[in-house]
Amino acid sequence: MAQAAALTRPELVCPAGTPAALRSAVDAGADCVYVGFRDETNARNFPGLNFSRKELGEGIAYAHERGAKVLVAINTFPHAGKPDIWHQAVADAARLKADAAILADIGLIEHAHRLHPELRLHLSVQAAASNPEAIRFYAERFGVKRVVLPRVLTVAEIAAINPRIAPVETEVFVFGGLCVMAEGRCALSSYVTGQSPNMNGVCSPAADVRYTETHEGITSELGGFTINKFRATEPAGYPTLCKGRFITHDKASYLFEEPTSLNTIAILPDLIRAGVTAFKIEGRQRGRAYVAAVVQAFRAGVDAVLAGQPLPDIDLDRITEGGKQTTGAYEKAWR
Amino acid sequence: MSQSPVRAPARPVAPPFSPVLLLGLALRPLNPTLLQPVFDTMLRMIRRRHPDILERMADYGDKAVCIDPVDLPFVILLEPNPDEPRLTVRREVDPAEIAATIRGPLEMLIALAEGKVDGDALFFSRRLVIEGDTEVVVALRNAIDGAGIDLIEDISVELGPLARPFRGLAGATLGLIDRMKADFETLRSSLIAPAVKDADSQGARIAQLEGEIKQLRKAARRGGAE
Repeated sequence: MAQAAALTRPELVCPAGTPAALRSAVDAGADCVYVGFRDETNARNFPGLNFSRKELGEGIAYAHERGAKVLVAINTFPHAGKPDIWHQAVADAARLKADAAILADIGLIEHAHRLHPELRLHLSVQAAASNPEAIRFYAERFGVKRVVLPRVLTVAEIAAINPRIAPVETEVFVFGGLCVMAEGRCALSSYVTGQSPNMNGVCSPAADVRYTETHEGITSELGGFTINKFRATEPAGYPTLCKGRFITHDKASYLFEEPTSLNTIAILPDLIRAGVTAFKIEGRQRGRAYVAAVVQAFRAGVDAVLAGQPLPDIDLDRITEGGKQTTGAYEKAWR
Repeated sequence: MSQSPVRAPARPVAPPFSPVLLLGLALRPLNPTLLQPVFDTMLRMIRRRHPDILERMADYGDKAVCIDPVDLPFVILLEPNPDEPRLTVRREVDPAEIAATIRGPLEMLIALAEGKVDGDALFFSRRLVIEGDTEVVVALRNAIDGAGIDLIEDISVELGPLARPFRGLAGATLGLIDRMKADFETLRSSLIAPAVKDADSQGARIAQLEGEIKQLRKAARRGGAE
């Protein structure tokens, strides 16, 4: 029990694409909810998703009344010569009393630091800061308080980084979709559709996606290219190029990554011991049923670890991509 | 956009054996237009209680979506024009008049509308079929999920003083449906029991043969090595 008592309670940072999902996350036990505005200033600029200014104000009030925080993701890269909507997004996040803004672009971070010193700044995973030197630069130069680590580090590497960047906090992904590319640098979606998560806030935009049902199963196309075929009973995945099946040596297989979801519930004790400040759940594009299920599972998991109890056996298979789960780079089990 | 007829998709979604399926069979002789007042009332209620749905769909006002409950003998055509939305029940729709189709069992579509299940998860598990313009489907899914629809609560509020008896009636009806579903599952299990038994014994036989083949291959390899 003494060991459990020494552990620091990490914040659970949960996604919300809509006001209803924000309420679901808070009600399910989220410490923080992260959201985005309804434009290309955030990396989930999907049709019908995200918050108007009025909705964000109401969402922040709902969360604060229940002791939860709201973080605003403004984590795409402003277009050259057209930074206005990004600047406005930062100004509105500060005006609405968001608890922090999650930023990626170094120019926007400088702008926010200079014009809105009261706004707490977190460094987005899109900035791909993965070593103490890079993290300390953002902290010392712009007052960044927390960094969301890219999904390329092992638990041991995270544990080694934390004492070297203190008091800067680290936040790591614990569940959800995975990107195999260098965060904020991937051009695959842009190559096929002309739009990318980095500049437009959308990977594989829905307007470029087509599904066709046949007797053999379902075919998914992106930008007019067939990128995958799933047999009738085979679980499907997102229509992204990195999770496409490609034919090499007459055999179709996944070259970059199989459709799978990150799930770290089994290694939560290790991540807590590594000194991580916040656990992030991916999935602002998912429905509120997903948000509620995952938040409840990780709330139970974190609370169990801190209480020195065994991890709860919670099955999240039904909401994972491709029906598969991995601990990803945290364990690098493929090595 | 898919050009296949709406009620004859390339890979029909098999409706689950459920009370809804029986209801669908019973409704087959009924002219769907007789149900139209129900959908008109539902649309008025949604516009009053959840105006944000049409607001989130504003960019897709001219894109009609066919909602196809596979266990019922009709489809629902949603035209999300913010100024003049329409929810029309039809026996079938002309593919040329729709941008996209969402297809699945009624119970699942209701659960999706109420945010009780995740749309991506249904798609991953292949229980939900999407055809046509994916963008309008994603927008509709997000708009509906974000509205926080609770059908029984929404109808109760609309009924004013009748809300309380309605809630009681709805609760009793849902309880009855749950019991019927359990009975249907028992019936289904009973009907397919002989087939399951055959499949189990075939599976066991296949496993035995695979074991024998493995042993033979091992023996052959040993023989080759010697």
